[in-house]
Amino acid sequence: MKTQAADPVELAIFQCAVHSIAEEMGAALRRTALSPNIKERRDYSCAVFDERGRAIAMGDHMPVHLGSMPMSVQAAIAAIAFAPGDIAILNDPYAGGTHLPDITMVLPVFLEQIETLRIPAESVKGGAKPVFYVANRAHHADVGGKFAGSMGPATTIEDEGIRIAPVRIVRGGVVDREVLDWILSSVRTPQEREGDLDAQMGACRVGEQRVLQLAAKYGMEKLAVWGEELLDYSERLVRAELKKMPAGEYDADDWLDDDGVTDEPRRIAVRLKIDPEAGAMDVDFAGSSAQVAGAVNAVRAITLSACFYVLRCLLPEDAPATEGILRPLTLHAPEGSIVNARPPAAVAGGNVETSQRIVDVLMRALAKAVPERVPAASAGTMSNVTIGGTDPRTTEAFAYYETAAGGMGARPGMDGISGVHTHMTNSLNTPIEALEYAYPFRVRRYEYRDGSGGEGKFRGGDGLIREVELLTDAEVTLLADRRKFRPYGLGDGGDGAAGRAIVVKAESGEEIELPGKCSRQLKKGDVLRIETPGGGGWGFRGMS
Amino acid sequence: MRIAIDTGGTFTDCVCLADGKLRVKKIFSTPADPSRAVLEGVRQLERFHNSRAPFDTVQGDFSLAEKPLEGDGSDIAKCGIAQSGADNVEVRHGTTVGTNTMLERTGARVAFVTTAGFEDTIAIGRQARARLYDWFAPAPECLIAKELRFGVAERVSSESEILREPTDEELAALVDAVRASGAEAVAISLLFSFANPKTEKRVEAALRELGIPVSASHRILPEFREYERASTTVVNAYLAPRMEIYLLALEERIAEKHRGGRVDVMQSLGGIIAARVAAEEPVRTVLSGPAGGVVGACRMARWAGFDKIIGFDMGGTSTDVFVANTEAAAQLTRESVVAGVPIGVPMLDIHTAGAGGGSLARFDAGGILRVGPESAGADPGPICFGRGERATVTDANLVLGRLDAESFLGGGVQLDGERTQRLMREQKGALETVEEFAAGIVRVVETQMEKAIRVISVERGHDPRDFTLVAFGGGGPLHACSLARALRIPRVLVPALPGALSAVGILLADTVRDFSRTVMMPGETMGSVDEIFGELSAEAAAEFAAEGLKGVAQRGVDLRYRRQGYELNVAYDPQEPERSTKAFHELHRQRYGFADESRPVEIVNVRVRMIAASEPYEPERCALVAGDGSAACSTQREVWFEGGFRPTRFYKRERLRPGDAIAGPAMITEYTAATLVLPGCAASVDGLGNLVIDVREDGVGQDGVREGGVREDGVGEDAAGEEERA
Repeated sequence: MKTQAADPVELAIFQCAVHSIAEEMGAALRRTALSPNIKERRDYSCAVFDERGRAIAMGDHMPVHLGSMPMSVQAAIAAIAFAPGDIAILNDPYAGGTHLPDITMVLPVFLEQIETLRIPAESVKGGAKPVFYVANRAHHADVGGKFAGSMGPATTIEDEGIRIAPVRIVRGGVVDREVLDWILSSVRTPQEREGDLDAQMGACRVGEQRVLQLAAKYGMEKLAVWGEELLDYSERLVRAELKKMPAGEYDADDWLDDDGVTDEPRRIAVRLKIDPEAGAMDVDFAGSSAQVAGAVNAVRAITLSACFYVLRCLLPEDAPATEGILRPLTLHAPEGSIVNARPPAAVAGGNVETSQRIVDVLMRALAKAVPERVPAASAGTMSNVTIGGTDPRTTEAFAYYETAAGGMGARPGMDGISGVHTHMTNSLNTPIEALEYAYPFRVRRYEYRDGSGGEGKFRGGDGLIREVELLTDAEVTLLADRRKFRPYGLGDGGDGAAGRAIVVKAESGEEIELPGKCSRQLKKGDVLRIETPGGGGWGFRGMS
Repeated sequence: MRIAIDTGGTFTDCVCLADGKLRVKKIFSTPADPSRAVLEGVRQLERFHNSRAPFDTVQGDFSLAEKPLEGDGSDIAKCGIAQSGADNVEVRHGTTVGTNTMLERTGARVAFVTTAGFEDTIAIGRQARARLYDWFAPAPECLIAKELRFGVAERVSSESEILREPTDEELAALVDAVRASGAEAVAISLLFSFANPKTEKRVEAALRELGIPVSASHRILPEFREYERASTTVVNAYLAPRMEIYLLALEERIAEKHRGGRVDVMQSLGGIIAARVAAEEPVRTVLSGPAGGVVGACRMARWAGFDKIIGFDMGGTSTDVFVANTEAAAQLTRESVVAGVPIGVPMLDIHTAGAGGGSLARFDAGGILRVGPESAGADPGPICFGRGERATVTDANLVLGRLDAESFLGGGVQLDGERTQRLMREQKGALETVEEFAAGIVRVVETQMEKAIRVISVERGHDPRDFTLVAFGGGGPLHACSLARALRIPRVLVPALPGALSAVGILLADTVRDFSRTVMMPGETMGSVDEIFGELSAEAAAEFAAEGLKGVAQRGVDLRYRRQGYELNVAYDPQEPERSTKAFHELHRQRYGFADESRPVEIVNVRVRMIAASEPYEPERCALVAGDGSAACSTQREVWFEGGFRPTRFYKRERLRPGDAIAGPAMITEYTAATLVLPGCAASVDGLGNLVIDVREDGVGQDGVREGGVREDGVGEDAAGEEERA
């Protein structure tokens, strides 16, 4: 462990400043994007990286993105000889991405761009290499592929949509029309995509301006030192927490219902080794299932994100989310397994479903070490719904994507929260009025799923019920889990209720239960009902 | 006679305009029944007004009522308002009743009525969690308990078509159910009611039978996004019974004593509305007091000759900051969250940072110095007040010599320097000296303030170098210079009357009401919104006429690129509708880094703001007489600045005269605040009694001020010229 060197005051100032850059990029992205998934649901993340591509600040956005974004920046740095004014774009899960709908943009910040500011900064001279990187990642509602919304039960990455290895979408300040057109020609809703990509580029520029202002104000020498110190500081915080934990090895496992291709459950197993003396943690996923045919494979970046998230949750609220958090961690994720898939495995659900299960498993193991600090399992699925078709009002193609919240697991000392996104996601719901303006749907019902939270001394939070009527024929795709293996309770608390999805057919009124992972052609007037899982309970309820 | 009364936690500030001068009275607040202090304020101001005694003018001293009010409300009648008070007394009120009701969760039992199937949406909200990495975050508290949520069988489509209406029987059943629930107020928010309010109006009419306050979303906030609209409507209902009783009783008591007496209330958006309207729409008053501060700061700054300001009001536990253009309207936001509840009606964009003079300092597990959000509050208070044991920002300022122990709150509070030194030494961690610890606390808290200012300035595309920092509140003037330096703000204004700025703002505010409609039309049809403007303006004019007011309508449109989710508000000129679109592209580029004139634009909302200007007031300007303030210098002491202690002169503000110029380092003390002028900066007193500080980097122009206190940019020169002509 390194000793503390930086002025604690200057460090706090720097932490504040870089964090607000990430937040500001997020605000610009949200306010200018076109798709409801970005503008209403805020399914995006923004972060700032040092000259070596290490994350020094992340906005309070989507946890699943944050731990994995550094890989995107690293991949872009490795692939591209950046020049001032460039912006890279990528989404390839096997080259810095996570799943195809998440498109990442990386802007290298060159000091010579400081001339674009209206401020005197004589002391700061431009160099040949970027001094910082800013990046943002947004979930696009469609990136082509076999299923509308690009979140379907594909069996290879090729069927999941367009795959973009790191490439420049902007060169020297000018958009590369060929690259942009190639992307737009591969998706179902090119206009919306172009608007969202514009917004991502704008957000990058907003970040660039702010980083340059910081450089002009303090000079690069100081910033470099502070960046290093901030990483060290995060590391110290994590080690301080690990030093308080009991030494030992803690095993846990949990299951994904299936991979959407066969019914076979898939296991995720972990062994945590906590070494309080060194303030270190070793995480080994040996024993987890091999990668599968269906789309629930996670690339290593996601597994690392899940570890990052759990470690970050051990720290106080005002701790900085930097890459230094991962330093006390040693990760073993067997190659070719469901937690470290290799091409050509399909990965759409790894980011949204498997990532949640990895967190569930990590927390279950951690609960054996520090039971008073760990809640029972939360919903454990993002209950992804994608719907695609043609909007009869405009005759244009549409692609809708939304995740539905569930119950939060009960906490030692308090009930879980109902109808709230947990762990690796924090996207908002699409307001019903925004949704009906944007898509040919009518929402019929949106309410708590009473009684779905697990029993216990403290109750798990309840899930939600959302009913959507289709006003046109459309392709509906589900990607959900926790149908068979319910969110676990802890300390004799009961499990949360399993999730469900039902179609009520317009013609017959017949109710058909849908599997968790499927794609169906539905008719105008059909109603899709999603019931999301409740959280697990905590503690024995007693006899009364 | 027009009187403004701003209720604060400790003091109730009362201001009136008499013979062209502002008169100020501070009396102790009466938290159990705020109206008692209000009525006492009216009585005292009136007495002074009648006696024509000179008191408490802009340049004068502040004084307190000799003793706090005691006893119960019946005292009012006894000590009371003059038996036959002056006619036409108009009391303008900045109230904390709304804010406190929200914070203390002491509002009404509200029934929430919405489209059947969506009863829980008021609790589900946006399904996201507020604290991303906190497994132990408490559940957000919904203002509506489960048994108070009611559904109506009805539906309006996104094309405004009524798909289903409730039958009369269904409505009757609803009324019965709400009656049986024991609700004290009702909030109605049906899906798409902003686009077609017909059904909502029927439901509203039916529920009015109950004789309890009914708030309907198409009146409170006729805009899309059902959760935010419903939440705003619920807050309105939650506050309605209490505010109605409070305001109408106050108005009645004023009217009893004064023929034609009336009460108006400051709204969160910085304009005045009649008490009757505020009682019906109390959601518009939750930031009533702070809004007065914004208006007051704007007026003071405009008179002093500054157009763009950043306001900085630092109190004991929190700090409010805002950006305003003093020539135009202040920045408004429609995305406020008050006490954890989203409110969508426009409010002044006041950003609150959870740190103030009483914030506690600590080293966290990673060794970083943290300040706040916990506060020592009034009890136990800072170490230097004698009871607290943990270091606060106030203690740090004392250690650094930045508080005048004798004049602190008029000498009313004894500061224990020795105790502070001792306890802070124990808490200084690895730092070498107490001074380093204290300086660190000040820097950290100033960084948090700096971040708060960045949120409202830089993050919205404003460059701080174009602004003047207006500092008020107990701690604002002490930290203003240093903040201005950090943000490259070239100038600090510490207004005259920094302790009563909110009341002054309330006194001078215009009467303002907003009227809006969501239209969702293509940008090419910009010319055709004229008709909607006509309807809104007619509605607005009628409402103002009912109050005996004549207003001027300001027109604006909210635009966005087609399919974006957020709008930018630009002015609308019926002669040149196209200009709105141009202004939108420009604003978009400035804020978000890009614009595209070929992209289709959408008109989302049409807005009319009706304004009836308050009576004009121009403060008296004194001629500037060049001076060095030495007559006001009380002492010289050691004050800590970056690098160590430096001998620093202390000045009594009330003894400074217009034209005096002081080079930093200097401390200027007054009853409610102290101003720190950093080395290298230079302060001067303008013709209105404001302190204007020229902020420079240390080491630049140490000897500071040019003769006559004229600032380098020449603004002072012009102002002085005008005064001489006047």
